[in-house]
Amino acid sequence: MKLHHSPGVLVVTGLQELNATNAASVRDGVRGAVTSEVTGVDIDLSKTRFVDSSGLGALIAIHKLMLARGGHVRVLNPIHAVEQVFEVTRLNRLFEVVKI
Amino acid sequence: MKVILQCPVAVVGVPALSRKRPLVLSPFLGQTALAHTLSGLSGEGAKQICLQAGERTAEVLRAVGAGEVWGLKITGPDERDFAGARRFILDSLPQAPDLALWASYPVWFDAQMALLERMARQRVGMRELRPGVFVGLRTRLAPDARLTGPLWIGDNVFIGPGSVVGPQAVVEDDSYLDDGSEVVESIVGPGTYAGSFTELRRSFAWGRDLLQLDTGSLTEVQDRFLLSEAAAPKFSLTRLWKQWRHRLPIP
Repeated sequence: MKLHHSPGVLVVTGLQELNATNAASVRDGVRGAVTSEVTGVDIDLSKTRFVDSSGLGALIAIHKLMLARGGHVRVLNPIHAVEQVFEVTRLNRLFEVVKI
Repeated sequence: MKVILQCPVAVVGVPALSRKRPLVLSPFLGQTALAHTLSGLSGEGAKQICLQAGERTAEVLRAVGAGEVWGLKITGPDERDFAGARRFILDSLPQAPDLALWASYPVWFDAQMALLERMARQRVGMRELRPGVFVGLRTRLAPDARLTGPLWIGDNVFIGPGSVVGPQAVVEDDSYLDDGSEVVESIVGPGTYAGSFTELRRSFAWGRDLLQLDTGSLTEVQDRFLLSEAAAPKFSLTRLWKQWRHRLPIP
């Protein structure tokens, strides 16, 4: 996982998968990198092959963190298979899913 | 009448349907496309069927047995006794020869919707609760489940409280939709569990496989509480009957 800051936004890239093996480290990594200047988190899922419930839990935790700060979370370019998991769990209604 | 029945086992337009078993054995309104075809051919007067399914002929033959269920004599791919026989390619059903089945996933879905009412009226034990809402035997529906036709719910299905099913939905036999789940413009394959508050739209869910009909995207859901095979009881008279009825000499 790579984290970098663009003005006001924390961008998360390089996730090959988001599941029980790395969900906690992703969640804690993002928590640690969210500074007072950060108003949004963009999570790039274009390279992510699959997501399970632990991964979704991490995304929800990040969403709650940003909501408490008045910020937002966007999910960028998920592949079809990951998008299906968002749809079946209805999380596509919670997160802003952006395709660029 | 003798018929040479040619069964495609996999088609470019619908590769996911042949992932678990030969294409002609994929679920189709309570049975398989092959079972509907055999019923249709029997209804048209066929007596002997020469079944051909390429390298998967043996697998397909095992599924249909010798054909007593349909009043047919089904044999393997050898055509020697079938000179001058009618040739039927299973890319449509005899009941609806103009309706293509396998061109794409939306075509396959639309074919089921087009035949839903007609097949439901022919199925023994199927009840029409409201116009277009067909429900099978031993199926339990929560009182507050919202059912909107056209809709097919097979035998031995459970629809949980607060669920939304239909319009344009098929829930095949032995499936379980947990509380608050939604199935709209979708098909739930036989023996599938859909967890609480899962939502299926323009999808085909069968066991853990989830297919998006419009994009053709297939994913295997990792979490069993979202989507999985419905746990079958260790011993079931119904299952035993389904497994053995083809082999019993019952007219």
